[in-house]
Amino acid sequence: MRRGVVLVLTLAVVLGASGLVFGAKPEVAVYAFGSEVMVFWDPSDTYSNEIIAMNNMYEQLIRYDPFTDTFEPVLAESYEKSADGLVWTFHLRQGVKFHTGNELTAEAVKLSIERTIARGMGASYIWAPVDRIEAVDKYTVSFHLKYPAPLDLIASGAYAAFIFDPAYSDHDWFAAGNDSGTGPYTVEDWKAGDYLVLKKFDGYWRGWEGKHFDKVIFKTVPEASTRRLMLEAGTADFTDDLPITEIEAIQGNPDIEIVVTPSFQNLLALFNTQKPPLDNPLVRKALAYTLPYADVIEGVRFGYARQSRGVVPYGLWGYSDRVKQYTYSLETAKALLAEAGYPEGGLKLLLTYVSGDEDERRVGELWKSALAQIGVELELRGMPWEAQVDLGQASDPMQRQDIFLFYWWPDFPHPHSFLREMFGTRDEILFNFTYYSNPVFDHLIKRAEELAGTNRAEAINLYVEAQNILMEEAPGVAIYDLEYVRAKRASLKGYVDNPAYPHVVFWYDCYREG
Amino acid sequence: MGVYSYIARRVMLSLIVLLGVSILTFLLTRVVPSKPEIRWVGPRATEEQIARAREELGLDKPLYVQYWKYITDFVRGNWGISIRTKQPVLRDILARLPASLELILASMILAVIVGLPLGILSAAKAGSTVDHLGRLLSIAGVALPSFWLGMILQLVFAKELGLLPLAERADMLVLLLNPLKHITGFYLFDSLVTGNFTVFVDALKHLVLPAVTLSTYPLGLCVRMTRASLLEVLGEDYIRTARAYGTREAKVLGKYALKNALGPVITVLALTFAYSLAATFLVESVFAWPGLGRYASEAIMTVDYPAIMGITILVAFTYIALNLLVDIVLALLDPRIRLG
Repeated sequence: MRRGVVLVLTLAVVLGASGLVFGAKPEVAVYAFGSEVMVFWDPSDTYSNEIIAMNNMYEQLIRYDPFTDTFEPVLAESYEKSADGLVWTFHLRQGVKFHTGNELTAEAVKLSIERTIARGMGASYIWAPVDRIEAVDKYTVSFHLKYPAPLDLIASGAYAAFIFDPAYSDHDWFAAGNDSGTGPYTVEDWKAGDYLVLKKFDGYWRGWEGKHFDKVIFKTVPEASTRRLMLEAGTADFTDDLPITEIEAIQGNPDIEIVVTPSFQNLLALFNTQKPPLDNPLVRKALAYTLPYADVIEGVRFGYARQSRGVVPYGLWGYSDRVKQYTYSLETAKALLAEAGYPEGGLKLLLTYVSGDEDERRVGELWKSALAQIGVELELRGMPWEAQVDLGQASDPMQRQDIFLFYWWPDFPHPHSFLREMFGTRDEILFNFTYYSNPVFDHLIKRAEELAGTNRAEAINLYVEAQNILMEEAPGVAIYDLEYVRAKRASLKGYVDNPAYPHVVFWYDCYREG
Repeated sequence: MGVYSYIARRVMLSLIVLLGVSILTFLLTRVVPSKPEIRWVGPRATEEQIARAREELGLDKPLYVQYWKYITDFVRGNWGISIRTKQPVLRDILARLPASLELILASMILAVIVGLPLGILSAAKAGSTVDHLGRLLSIAGVALPSFWLGMILQLVFAKELGLLPLAERADMLVLLLNPLKHITGFYLFDSLVTGNFTVFVDALKHLVLPAVTLSTYPLGLCVRMTRASLLEVLGEDYIRTARAYGTREAKVLGKYALKNALGPVITVLALTFAYSLAATFLVESVFAWPGLGRYASEAIMTVDYPAIMGITILVAFTYIALNLLVDIVLALLDPRIRLG
């Protein structure tokens, strides 16, 4: 009897290993991700990691390419805007099916976006300029705006711009692990905290000619060294967010490719403009000259970053060579401090950062040692994010920090949020940890936002002007624009990193060679 | 005191402890400066969205009202919604519990199979080379950081030798080709009873490294406790009497001494088991093991208070229940305990 069991087991292993019992193996890709993938399941609410999967399950009307500043037709074949920029009309592709079997219509687009706006979650505010949506005919949908806005950028957003089947849009149904998109892949299996398996949707409108993956697995692997080993072993095809030390360990491995792309995320030092001594613009400018930019980029990011110019990151429209850039110069800083009445320095400043963020801490350390040379003492205080924000929002400006280290990235590719959220006049402090208020600046960015949909060139001019005001008054300084560093198997082809869709792999475009 | 009144008293005390734990955890998670409503709606929410979330989460009510609502919902099986995963906490925990239990059980079995004989051998040959080696092993087992050992095992057995898989509970491709029917959530058990041997073998291979890593601590404890407790018993009069009668040493050890020496070993192992439930996160993290420990550590780092509450109460419950069970068993066996 026992011998029988052993025999069966052995047979099962041998057959299993040789693949005899399975027939043809499906082409499967594995994305090893450091955190929980599916945070939100509701396409209206999406605001987190899930976009890496959702951009394969759902589609937008159009997709944005920030490098060429052009739009690729997806669910809309074409679109046009009225001369005043107030009416945007999209012509839908015909014959597109949702995973539910229903057809994509103008009515479905209207109901999708209306639901997203009504739920008011996550990034839904990007639709704020929309007054009403009109299904003109079965395949034509018009967006009527309250004021001119770049609706193409909004409709191509990585969050909150997904079109889904309104007939299958119950929140709890989504939350149980279902989708109703038009994308190339649909949910096959999901185990919270472990994996998500997507399988190809046979009725996908682009068809399945050529090389594609049959299934895509998103696997949660928190430990970076494990992700790296999986990539080396070939049990993962793609991973992102590897620490620099892990990247160095795989450099030179012929089976692995490192992909470096500029991101739209930057690290900023925000100055408390309401509290002495940083209420004095001369002191703030002096501080901006004391950041050892080159050392920071080499020492903290190992070169995987570039010094910011203005506050709009490199690669995003609104970035311009015409914006001033600070350099590291302790002499200039000293002269400015003397002019401000602090010839010997003698200042004590408090910098807060998120505890556990090694990059922020190391930036602080390098800055601290530079400042010590001109008699300024910098106290570094790592705090949990919530506590850092609480201190920054304290009602008395004197109680708040002097310098707030802060990351910012846009919810859709638009420079506006970089300028407005951190430097625009606000009644209540949300992210304006500079507490800066300048009516001229406010007017410029408001005007620029209005023009962004109709006259992009003029809008850029205004954003340049606004950024130069920030450089002159220095309510804060952007330190570096991050570069995304990702690692993938060399055999994985077709991958293009698009910073407008951070961390997303569009798996339909990818295939395995060899 | 009779056995039943002893049990009744212990159960009552346990309930009070559980209630205390729930109140304490509830207060602690609220004292920590955090704004769950902001985490709920996301970092860029407007004031109205935040106010609406505060109301939705019941955070606008006084603390005692919030606690009362929480605890009454809790006993009805509604453990709240996780701020981080946006899923019901109970569902989250149940989804991860089998993975943790499977790993912990495997490591415990390993610890007992190896640790018990080693402890007995150490005690029987106290002072010998075997004893020294056993003690060295037990100290190393308790002292070695598990995440470090896990990574070393990965490097040696997965990367260099290629004998065992690197991480995960099973190979995803194997699972896709041989879908596993979920009955208990234990991969080994489910695959065995459904006759899915390919997954069984694969899951077993995947279990080896993390189970060995996790077993070092209870193994060390087991060796030490068995040795110490056995040595103590071996010094008792009745053992000397047994030996004086010329009873074989193996019988003295195995039949007369071991039975009396096992009490403390069982107690310690039971507590280690409960402790492991949430303390395995380092091992789970290294081996991409989707268990409760990882869930707990992520919940703590993101101040996900409904999840923290749920896990704390569950772990406290397990602790108390196991402790109670062990005490009751010992009380049934040994009248001195319930009378003392």
